[in-house]
Amino acid sequence: MMRSNATAMTNAAAAAEPARRGLPPRAKSALMQAGLFAAPFAAFGVFLLFYGVNPIDLYVSMFTSAFGNRYGFGEVLIKATPILLTGLAAAMPARAGMINVGGEGQLAIGALLSTAAAVTMLQAAPAWFGIPAMLLAGALGGAIWAGITALLRVKGNMNETITSLLLNYVAFYTVGLFVHGPLKDPASFNWPFSPPISDALRLPVLNGSRLHAGIAIAVVLAAAVWWVLSRTRLGFRIRVLGANAFAAERAGFRVSRMQLLTLVAAGALAGIAGMIEIAGIEGRLRPTTGANYGYLGFLAAWMAWNHPLRLVATSFLLGMIAVAGNSLEMNSGLPSSSVHILMALVLIFLLAGGRIGRGRRA
Amino acid sequence: MIADILTGAVRSGTSVLFAVQGELVSERAGVINLGTEGAMLAGALAGFATTVWTGSPWLGALAGGTGGMLIALLHAFLVISRGANQLATGLTLMFLGMGLTAFFGRKFVSESIVGFNPAPIPLLSDIPFIGNVLFNHDPLTYVSFALVPLIGFVLFRTRLGVIIRASGEREDALFASGMNPKLVRYGAVLAGGFLAGLGGAQLSIAYTHSWVENMTAGRGIVAVALVIFAAWKPFRAAVGAWLFGAAQALQLTVQQQGYPISPYFLFMAPYLITLIALLAVEFRKKSRMPEALGKVFTGSPGGAG
Amino acid sequence: MSGEILLQAKGVTKRFGSLTANRNIDLEVRSGTIHAILGENGAGKSTLMKMLYGVYVPDEGEFRMDGETVELHPPAKARARGIGMVFQDFRLVPAMTVLDNIALAEHGGGFRLRRKRLRERIREVSDRYGLKVDPDAWVWQLDLGQRQRLEIVKALMSENARVIIFDEPTSVLAPQEVEAFLDLLRRLRADGYGVLLITHKIREVLACADHVTVLRAGEVVWSAGREAGWDEAALVRAMIGDKSLQQVGRRNGPHGEPGGEKAPAEPEPFVTITGGVIKGDHGEMVLADVRLEARAGEILGVAGISGSGQRELAEALFGLRALAEGELRVAGRPMPADPRAFIEAGVTFVSEDPLRDSVIPGFTILEHMVLDGLPMKPKGAGIDWRGVREALEASGEARALALADPGRMADTLSGGNVQRMVLTRALLRKPKALIVSYPSRGLDIGTTRVIQQRLIELAESGTAVVLFSEDLDELLALSDRIVVLSGRRLHGPYRTEETDAAAIGSRMLKGESA
Repeated sequence: MMRSNATAMTNAAAAAEPARRGLPPRAKSALMQAGLFAAPFAAFGVFLLFYGVNPIDLYVSMFTSAFGNRYGFGEVLIKATPILLTGLAAAMPARAGMINVGGEGQLAIGALLSTAAAVTMLQAAPAWFGIPAMLLAGALGGAIWAGITALLRVKGNMNETITSLLLNYVAFYTVGLFVHGPLKDPASFNWPFSPPISDALRLPVLNGSRLHAGIAIAVVLAAAVWWVLSRTRLGFRIRVLGANAFAAERAGFRVSRMQLLTLVAAGALAGIAGMIEIAGIEGRLRPTTGANYGYLGFLAAWMAWNHPLRLVATSFLLGMIAVAGNSLEMNSGLPSSSVHILMALVLIFLLAGGRIGRGRRA
Repeated sequence: MIADILTGAVRSGTSVLFAVQGELVSERAGVINLGTEGAMLAGALAGFATTVWTGSPWLGALAGGTGGMLIALLHAFLVISRGANQLATGLTLMFLGMGLTAFFGRKFVSESIVGFNPAPIPLLSDIPFIGNVLFNHDPLTYVSFALVPLIGFVLFRTRLGVIIRASGEREDALFASGMNPKLVRYGAVLAGGFLAGLGGAQLSIAYTHSWVENMTAGRGIVAVALVIFAAWKPFRAAVGAWLFGAAQALQLTVQQQGYPISPYFLFMAPYLITLIALLAVEFRKKSRMPEALGKVFTGSPGGAG
Repeated sequence: MSGEILLQAKGVTKRFGSLTANRNIDLEVRSGTIHAILGENGAGKSTLMKMLYGVYVPDEGEFRMDGETVELHPPAKARARGIGMVFQDFRLVPAMTVLDNIALAEHGGGFRLRRKRLRERIREVSDRYGLKVDPDAWVWQLDLGQRQRLEIVKALMSENARVIIFDEPTSVLAPQEVEAFLDLLRRLRADGYGVLLITHKIREVLACADHVTVLRAGEVVWSAGREAGWDEAALVRAMIGDKSLQQVGRRNGPHGEPGGEKAPAEPEPFVTITGGVIKGDHGEMVLADVRLEARAGEILGVAGISGSGQRELAEALFGLRALAEGELRVAGRPMPADPRAFIEAGVTFVSEDPLRDSVIPGFTILEHMVLDGLPMKPKGAGIDWRGVREALEASGEARALALADPGRMADTLSGGNVQRMVLTRALLRKPKALIVSYPSRGLDIGTTRVIQQRLIELAESGTAVVLFSEDLDELLALSDRIVVLSGRRLHGPYRTEETDAAAIGSRMLKGESA
């Protein structure tokens, strides 16, 4: 499990004491790992200092607010949920040898379809029917969107990284199209958003926080992905495909079918994230619903070496950082998007350390 | 009206054209840079800010190129010297560029500049129809016109070009000839970053005369896609860039003429057109991708380092 | 003997981890001589050459030129000192033209491409040594012999070249072309070059070398000039030491000695291609008018100069490449271009490049075994690995081929062990047909013999084997019938007992029966 930043820094400091010669190689490697992990925080800290913000304060508050009270913990989990799901949407195809950056768009279309279902067909539906129906709609939306990328890859031999990226922009404008048009809330005085979904369709919430059931859904799905990848024949084949596509072909795998399946499943996961954003937090569709979660999920997946269980930890970490961004904004006036810089720095140090290789074995 | 669209196509496509030519050089040397989006943003902000401070758009353009080059330097270091995955690194730098420019650009959002304005070329710009389309643009667009044949010349008619192309095809051959493929790739990636930054600068200094967060809106990604569409040939890449510009110009025209098409379809159009262009290319004869680049996509060992 | 000393190696040693590839090598190359480095595969010749050309740096020892110690790393320095190398796997850029490839190697060209001047110099060298090259041809269009000529021209065009190193140059040539090549070496010698010839072919050494250095297991075991008197037997002894060469049991197949216990009638063809046209990766014509039959219980050898379509044909026989025209049938049924269908029909494939096609990073040998090998025993939704391991151990194949421990990661294996793994897996499949390419490439004699023996046993148990090989001796020893790929056609089949190396060699070159 990924340790939190503060523990890592303490450990690094402690391990530095008896340094110099004679460190056993394992300790050395652990030290280097800790260093690589702490470095971006240190770099970001220097950056903050320039703006008169005390980085230690920020990091400490990040930690205490995440673990200090139920509300703070809940906030982190709320952010971590879509990141986990879009992270799975990136990690699973990665294990099969494909790079899916379309989580952003797949989430958006999932949110779109589930909202559309909610405000047209499910307005009077009871929770036990409506919520699963919305889930299905969200998954379907994301799956269809990813299906475009998959078809272009399998039939058109087009690289999925580029097509999924381009489709993100198309998805963004598609959502815009709907909230300005067919899905616009008639009571909204020209503000672009959809009508609210009915209360029955909202996800159950934990008392004393905004934390909704979405986190449970996400964790269960993460466990499911892990189980498929590491314990089933299908997962074995997917991993072989990701590690050597030539060998997979020569072993008689149905490569095209596997690629299609993996991408579509990934899209479904991201689509579910979209539905959860609507049913758990926003209650209605806006043009900016789910913005950036797709890219954050991609980052989380890479940090986790595309391993579903590690992904739970890295998405939690990114969730903590995202929440810290809010407090940064409140306390010092720096925009909350500043933490994007921190996240990019984390990944840069990981890339520089050469630790991001092919997906590790499940 | 068509003349307007074509004129708009050229003007709007220039930023993409710079980025596309830059990415073309980089990919010919075997490195794909999805961070082009981040480089363009860095160039747009650096260029705009410098123009605000110094009042000189030319200094701004230079600063823009430098900004893009700095992002590309990070990409080159991670990919060539540290052996990191090219696609993941590029995406990270795209994100970094978005974050950095959002942060540092806050106070420039409401600034305004004179920047570059259309400078019609005497005599030539009076020619009916094409006069406006070709000869009534800002200075950076004229530079972009000259850039295309220059890149073509360097790549195919000079020894430097042979070296760059060999680096993208078989670095073993380059090494055996006594040269260092890593150095060649560094140079190509930096050149690509400079041009991308220049493209971003054109966007803020000459096209919109303003800075807005994320103003490139995916032009960097489109540039990478267009390089593939162009089969790594400079002139075709230019055509692709202008095609993208035409789709954008079409947006404006449709809005002005008041056609009842939702603006969002038009916003989508450039990206859809890029996708369709890519698809069309796949159904033609397989275009030859530089070998080293092919390895990036199949994930074979032996990245760029 | 003859000329001044151009290049010397003294006490050169090179290690890779715990493996010592070269130990304490001494070497002398004089101008106007041909110096042969003889050794079997794995003896360390390639490592030595890479140090001479600046690709590797020696761990101990030194190189001397012009009476002083020199550093030859990186290749730029070796080239500056006048050392040119013709590689075994050419360092050419296929996507560029001949002229561009030469321009790449030429310094002093400045910024502009001096095309006219380059063309003149190319013509000079080309005429002088009889090496015809077309400056405007794309390298991917050239066959291997032409590419080699280009590599040689490249090396000779360097103005200060004094030592030219040839790494296994005749592996891509038909027997008749070898003589022309040796003539080239003699001409270079007459012009004062120091020629260093790396080879494992004793006949070439006997034909033209002035001096021979024999490497075995990384060390120099013999070094003598021609005047010391040497013959084939002495060289062979030096190369392989005192290991007794096991002869591979000659086939007692269906065509063999009458009176064998099984002497069946002509067996049914299992895999057939009729009217086949095979196209390459760029749509170019590779083989036309292909008529091929692989029969149960027989080894069909496929001979040909490297690059005559072997890879494409092998891929077609496994469904990795669709026939552009014609029909391919397995057990009488027409097959789609899908490896899955071929696997279901009982065909197994051993790739010519197992490092790329078969080794999966991060997976163990055991995990490789269930990929077109042992059945993937189900355990719930997963795989019963213990059962697979038991099946592996029970089969005896692994032991016969000395397979490494199944728990090891396949990407840590040496080339020879990878080959063992891939072949073990193919044998475990008990296939009805086996398409195998270059099974003994790069392996030492001991392993090669074992593999050849297993192939014979496989055929004797009823499998149809299609064997692609560059080693004519191997083909003649193992095959019942041989086909020859040449000139974009498939010639044959010829019964092995009715033909010999010279005839096959001439067909490889010219294509019609000599």
